[in-house]
Amino acid sequence: MQNLIQIIVDAVALGSLYALVSLSIGLVFGVMRLINFAQADYITIGAYALVVPTASVSPALLLGALPFAFMAGGVVVVVVVLALLTERLAFRPMRGSDPATLLVSSFAVSYFLQHLVMLIHSGRPKSVGIGNSLSAAVEFWGIRVPGTQLLTMGVALVMLVAMVFFLKKTPMGIQMRAAAENFQMARLMGVKANRVIATAFAISGIMAAAVSLLLVVQTGTLDIRMGLMPVIFAFFATVIGGMGSLPGAALGGFIVGFVTVGLQAFLPPDLRAFRDAFVFMLVIGFLLFRPQGLIVTSAARERV
Amino acid sequence: MNLNKLTKIVAVAALGGVPLTGAQAQEDPIKIGFAIAQSGWLSNYDLSPYRAAVAKIDQINASGGLLGRQIEYTVGDTKTEQERAAAVGAQMVSTGVDLLVVSCDYDFGAPAALAANSAGIITMSLCAADPKMGVQGVGPYAFSGNSAAQSEGIAIAEYGVKKMGLKTAYVLEDTTIEYNKSNCAGFRHAWKETAGEGSIVGEDSFRNEDPSIAAQITRIKSLDVAPDAIHICSFTPGGASAVRQLRAAGIDAPILASTAMVDNYWLNAVPGLKDFYVPGFMSLYGDDPRPEMAEFLAAFNERWGEGPVSSYSVLGYTLIESWAHAVEQAETADADEVLSVMNSYVDEPFTAGLTSFSDQLHIQTNRPWLIMKVEDDTFKAVEIFRNTITPDMRLLFRVGQ
Repeated sequence: MQNLIQIIVDAVALGSLYALVSLSIGLVFGVMRLINFAQADYITIGAYALVVPTASVSPALLLGALPFAFMAGGVVVVVVVLALLTERLAFRPMRGSDPATLLVSSFAVSYFLQHLVMLIHSGRPKSVGIGNSLSAAVEFWGIRVPGTQLLTMGVALVMLVAMVFFLKKTPMGIQMRAAAENFQMARLMGVKANRVIATAFAISGIMAAAVSLLLVVQTGTLDIRMGLMPVIFAFFATVIGGMGSLPGAALGGFIVGFVTVGLQAFLPPDLRAFRDAFVFMLVIGFLLFRPQGLIVTSAARERV
Repeated sequence: MNLNKLTKIVAVAALGGVPLTGAQAQEDPIKIGFAIAQSGWLSNYDLSPYRAAVAKIDQINASGGLLGRQIEYTVGDTKTEQERAAAVGAQMVSTGVDLLVVSCDYDFGAPAALAANSAGIITMSLCAADPKMGVQGVGPYAFSGNSAAQSEGIAIAEYGVKKMGLKTAYVLEDTTIEYNKSNCAGFRHAWKETAGEGSIVGEDSFRNEDPSIAAQITRIKSLDVAPDAIHICSFTPGGASAVRQLRAAGIDAPILASTAMVDNYWLNAVPGLKDFYVPGFMSLYGDDPRPEMAEFLAAFNERWGEGPVSSYSVLGYTLIESWAHAVEQAETADADEVLSVMNSYVDEPFTAGLTSFSDQLHIQTNRPWLIMKVEDDTFKAVEIFRNTITPDMRLLFRVGQ
């Protein structure tokens, strides 16, 4: 029983992480029909901002040396600026293109950013010891919850609530929802396209920064591909939850987290190595039998 | 500057700056080609042993060359691409090299090595740990400067049971690459052989890029009796991340890891790490018990003005030693004659350790290891340990596993 609760905690924590990433992908997709794979590199660059940019294998800390609030703030600024830059320089000129073209351009941006990091930091993984006190486990009635899991769940919860508040209660949030529903109509009603899209990118940057910090606290390592797997799984999450639907993206994130942890926990040893293949099968199943995902937005319904 | 001269300069620059040390030699120089990754992610694994190899070449040249002939070397960048590795290898073979050195990895080194092997030229990988970089895989002219990954697992298992008195182990296998699987296969084999059947109390797998191994930790925690040791066959960054998460979860059992986890660069990820053991090649931190390692570090420092970033570098140094020794013995650089000398090596005392080859096996299976442990946030040399169990062909090629 304790074991089962432990597994559920593990799943919720992993699901929270995926939900944060899938929300940021879903948000940008909603307003721009862009599946932004460069999100992976926002996460990577946010993490690398903690150390001095050199090719050294054991670099000195840069933002990582600051007190926690400044460090988190610094990483957020770096990633938000990066997200806005990619929007302005790469995606704005492509706006209105076919979603497939946009997807390809996001791969190009991602490839460029990854190689930029490799050029500056070298391709060798690095390590960084921040938030060591956070990683220690806390016991609740025999259930062990690592500090990083608590932190991940807490951050995800705060961000989800903040996002709901933003979308429902602020003028910009309402404009964003309108733009996600029908972009042309929203523009005709006076919604400024540039501002709405830039805001979506900025929010996706804030979330990427949060994921960077959570990943670094959890793993203690930096790697040029560190953002890739979370983004791929988060992309699956948006497919499962329904492209363009924010509640769907969050739900999908938790589903992917539960399925991954569940497979790891209950598959026989010989099949565990193929855990990810089962997750991929689930996504293929959704694409075949319910391509619109679990939660369908009206914008998506039009297109189907 | 006339056009001809300009072309020459461009050609030299394109070849990565060929040193013209052989210009004064009376005879034609001996030629070594390096088809390695100077850019891309693999460059971080190739460059350190490559630089050590160059340090050895320079030493040989300074002391009069090989058979009185200077050694000239050229470098071609494979850019961590398999297709380009094949092209660079083929190009070097066509220009006529006596030895082709290829990348530190079977998948990326084999395309270039195949070109040399089919032309009957000796080819050596800087540090591939896969026995396929040899007779059965690439072909009879292919060698690796490293030990087979299985022997790493065997060595640390034997050390754990015999020297540390550990009785039970839990195996955590990173299934991302073959190296890890070979390492774990060697470990399981040797642990069962020395500690008895049933001494491996559990197994689990993870992927190097997994952001969390919480589910794997839950499984270890739910064991009725905690294991004496945990074996992790992985590499950084995933391996470092796994160690951090294990220790954070309060699992303090000794961790026995693979050689890829050696060197201090990742220790920031787990401050205060203790009871972490690897079979290493050498210590970069001045406490290696073998004086020849100090000489190697001095030679490297003199050539490059800084120490090596990775202890894998010594394999590049010994790669040149082992080939040059065979050339001296054979009194020719002719591939077939050098090959027959190399195939007869039994415990040749090169810098990286005792080296043996046979006409069936072109990788080390029981070269002595420097067991290292982490203490005070640094790797420390513990002792030299030689595994007594050697992997057979079935284990080396993981037949039927």
